[in-house]
Amino acid sequence: MSEDKIVVANKGLIRAEFAFWVGQYMDKFYDALESKKIIGNKCPKCGDVFVPPRKICGKCNEKISLDQNWVDLPEFGTLKNYTITYYKINDRSSRKVKKPQIIGMVQIDGSNTAIVYRLLDIEPKEVKIGMKVKVEWEEKAKGDPSDIKGFVRV
Amino acid sequence: MGYNQVKLYSDANYGRYEMVFEAVRGALDNAGLKKKDITTVISTTNDYYEGRTISNSLTVEPGGGYLADESKVEMDGAHAVLYGLMRILSGNHKLAVVWGGSIASSFPYHSARLYETDPTWERPSTYVNDITSSGFQMRAYMEKYGVSAEEIAEISVKNRKNAAKNPLALAEAQNPNLTVKEVLESEIYSDPVTELMVAPPCDGKAALLLAPEKQAKKITDKPVWITGVGFNQETYYLGDRDLSTSTSMELAGKTAFKVAGIKDPRNQIDVAELFEAYAHEELIFTEALGFAEKGKGSVLNTKINGDFPINPSGGALGGNPPCATGLIRIIEAVKQIRGEAKGYQIKDAKRAIASGQIGMCAQNNILYVLEGGE
Repeated sequence: MSEDKIVVANKGLIRAEFAFWVGQYMDKFYDALESKKIIGNKCPKCGDVFVPPRKICGKCNEKISLDQNWVDLPEFGTLKNYTITYYKINDRSSRKVKKPQIIGMVQIDGSNTAIVYRLLDIEPKEVKIGMKVKVEWEEKAKGDPSDIKGFVRV
Repeated sequence: MGYNQVKLYSDANYGRYEMVFEAVRGALDNAGLKKKDITTVISTTNDYYEGRTISNSLTVEPGGGYLADESKVEMDGAHAVLYGLMRILSGNHKLAVVWGGSIASSFPYHSARLYETDPTWERPSTYVNDITSSGFQMRAYMEKYGVSAEEIAEISVKNRKNAAKNPLALAEAQNPNLTVKEVLESEIYSDPVTELMVAPPCDGKAALLLAPEKQAKKITDKPVWITGVGFNQETYYLGDRDLSTSTSMELAGKTAFKVAGIKDPRNQIDVAELFEAYAHEELIFTEALGFAEKGKGSVLNTKINGDFPINPSGGALGGNPPCATGLIRIIEAVKQIRGEAKGYQIKDAKRAIASGQIGMCAQNNILYVLEGGE
């Protein structure tokens, strides 16, 4: 039935892009990424360590002060979960990629949360939950999420 | 009081406002009421899904809001029912219309859900959307409890078979002959989730009418009462959550059952309509609500003629029109209680539960207890 439809497609009539300021906490975090370091912050009440850092611990409803509670963390972590997809997520026509992307949830050692990044240089059947991984840094860090290229097996 | 759902389509051949009108006017006709009887309208749409801001501005006339009081909920239709319920309980309104839905064929739904992610952290990397999150969720559930992909695929088979009995379900989702093998061998969306385990986004709208007790008894001799509601949400980041279970559904259930005075949910509830965005979520919710032990949801016979029927209508796997899916679950529970679920009626259904959800891996869940009788 769709052949007979008259469709008005609105493809970017105007440019109305957003520029988000990341906030003071993420400023510090991205500064650290730029020097190829991972930092987190710690809730003064429950002691949970967050990566990326948070202004507030939701569980304790406690503000985490900007001047203290920072924790230097290693570039090593544990694979907590993963998924494999053949699709480009940011593609409007849902096109497929040639090689499947393995997307992992990695808990950086010393933190209580996990971050989502690609697993690199590994075949799907070799991926095991619980395996130790390490950050693969982008050669030229820019101080944004892309500084972490992904994670590789240790 | 009254309800209506339009037939779900993958590419509907009518305009979005006609569809709102069909849903809302149909609900009024269902209850034998008129536009003048409406005192408040709660709509459910999403600006991003409608492709414009203030997504309810053009739905004033078809939604019954012309020169009336109207407000929008940008969540699931099941959340809008809570808002409608509060308006009724305030004592200021005699009839609330709650409607919701969208035309998912007009935009790339799964890609659009990238816009739910944190714009300063996860969004630029483009690894997280509803589909990849569901891959994490299914794997977390399987790993923690040793559940097999076959057990999860059984839910797709059951719900798509049930959908075949529901004339309003999405035609592409209706399949009386589906097998576990076909589900497992369908296209991989985000391993271990395959295409047939995903509730297919589609076009559709639905409407439900709410009234206070006194008015309800005047309008119909078959009223259905909301006797309990529970609402809960988890933290946003996927890496902060235990995806193998649904804590928010567990807590929503506890609240709803307490309010409804239900002590033994397994024996006191006759049928459940749960918004499962993926096959594995139905099992996770079944366990979170205490109908089965953790990891044992698949042991429970949840078929139409089973011990504890879940999603006899086909559930969201039978069609997922964003913003309407949870509302449709409530409508399906109402149909069961009123004995109007032709073709998939549960015998003597007196008390039902229905749920709605939003967010990645069902971050936020709302659960209703509905009952028939005086």
